[in-house]
Amino acid sequence: MSHADGSMVQIEGVSKRYDGDQGPVQALEDVDFGVETGEFVCIVGPSGCGKTTLFRILAGLEPATAGEVLLDGQRVTEPTPEMGIVFQEYHLFPWQTVRENVAFGLQKAEVSAAERDRRVDHLIDLVGLDGFADSYPKSLSGGMKQRVALARALAIDPALLLMDEPFGAVDAQTREMLQGELLDIWQETGKTVLFVTHDVEEAVKLADRIVVMGKDPGSIRQVIDVDLDRPRSRTDASFGRYYERVRELI
Amino acid sequence: MATDLQGDHAQTTDDTGRARIDVDLRRLLLGFGGLLGFVGLWWVASLFQPEFVLPSPAVVAATFIAEAASGEMATALGQSILHWVPGTIIGTLLGIVTGVALGWSRLLDDITAPVVRTLRPVPPLALIGFAIAWFGINNAGAAFIIAVGAFWINFYASYGGVEGVSEDLLDVARSFGLKGDLELVRSVVIPAASPEILTGIRTGIGRCWMLVVASEIFGVPGIGRRILRASNNLQVDVVITYILVLSLMFLLVDTAFRAVQRWVLAWR
Repeated sequence: MSHADGSMVQIEGVSKRYDGDQGPVQALEDVDFGVETGEFVCIVGPSGCGKTTLFRILAGLEPATAGEVLLDGQRVTEPTPEMGIVFQEYHLFPWQTVRENVAFGLQKAEVSAAERDRRVDHLIDLVGLDGFADSYPKSLSGGMKQRVALARALAIDPALLLMDEPFGAVDAQTREMLQGELLDIWQETGKTVLFVTHDVEEAVKLADRIVVMGKDPGSIRQVIDVDLDRPRSRTDASFGRYYERVRELI
Repeated sequence: MATDLQGDHAQTTDDTGRARIDVDLRRLLLGFGGLLGFVGLWWVASLFQPEFVLPSPAVVAATFIAEAASGEMATALGQSILHWVPGTIIGTLLGIVTGVALGWSRLLDDITAPVVRTLRPVPPLALIGFAIAWFGINNAGAAFIIAVGAFWINFYASYGGVEGVSEDLLDVARSFGLKGDLELVRSVVIPAASPEILTGIRTGIGRCWMLVVASEIFGVPGIGRRILRASNNLQVDVVITYILVLSLMFLLVDTAFRAVQRWVLAWR
């Protein structure tokens, strides 16, 4: 079941085996799918299905035991500036201000100081944190920290945004707001988004396509196209049908 | 995009300023009271002792003033500073560099672990023979003793700090294309470990004032030498005078460094 040919991201037969204390563990088995340019894809699955492992392999932070990840036809073996990465627990650099955090990825990019400042100011504005540019992360709420992390990932102007349960650590109200903001940014910038979550409702709300994973071993159960207009409301009957369909697979 | 931060509050940090001043004042008054009590007890105790056992605070104060007026104190202090400053700086820098390197590199740590564990329990005083043989009875020899003391404190503080650096922050840095030991250490490891490193520096500075006495035991002039000579002559008032000089120097440098520490770690 390879949809992968010619896609922006191609994940081909990716497997991962760990040597655990009680023998080898098959964390991922033959994961195979593709993501088209501009698409919003959610990977959803229960905890322990290997989605974080898959995220780390996609990001180039960990090698796969078998198979490969291609980004625009190039094999991913280490992190690349073509990908902007957002982690679950924000992981801001606490010793840097919001502005410095957002600019972090630009120290390696060949960007003039003026261009860097312009871009950083624009992004801080985009994620709604104007006025907090010189604050340290300690004085920000969880939602604000995740906005900074998003701006930091966007600063390097990546073609692909790779996000690992980015809204898992904030309260429900903030999560809903951040989801809406992420969709706005996605539509505004035309980025491709690959979004890992364990929250089925979140996946149905956000994704063009949902990759449903199961565990033992971590593998794809099914890939579901979500054919709903945005903004989506969870009270719609059709929303509920997608929700149930994904739920049954997990 | 929506910019309202409803339900998403920033914590304010400056509404506690007033309360903090009150707490500081209270603490200052209590501390001053404690100090007065201590001097009072000392004075009472001194009434029942001959002067060569425990001189009264008034006698010590007079000696202090006399030593300060004669220029003896400034001379001794100047002499001690000549080895305290280089000893502390060299030991601190070497300790931090070594601690960061070994805390970061598994390989270096494995190679050096047996040597480190052999050298670690050696007290600086036991190295006096080497100080004399390698450097002579001079400031360099005394600085060596002080540097050894500063080295270990800073080594372990930095080592521990680096070991505690979050792997997640390193992943973030890697995800932005940072790679190689030098880049990661500079951009993430050192800033992340800076609280521990700074605590090490501060502890080391205090320890080095203590080591001033030890470092002068073999004849290098300074405050320590002055204390040792006065001890031999049972001039307890002079001993206490120079102990006070050491305390005051410690207090001065420690207060200054604490201000630096607060400023550098404003993000915490």
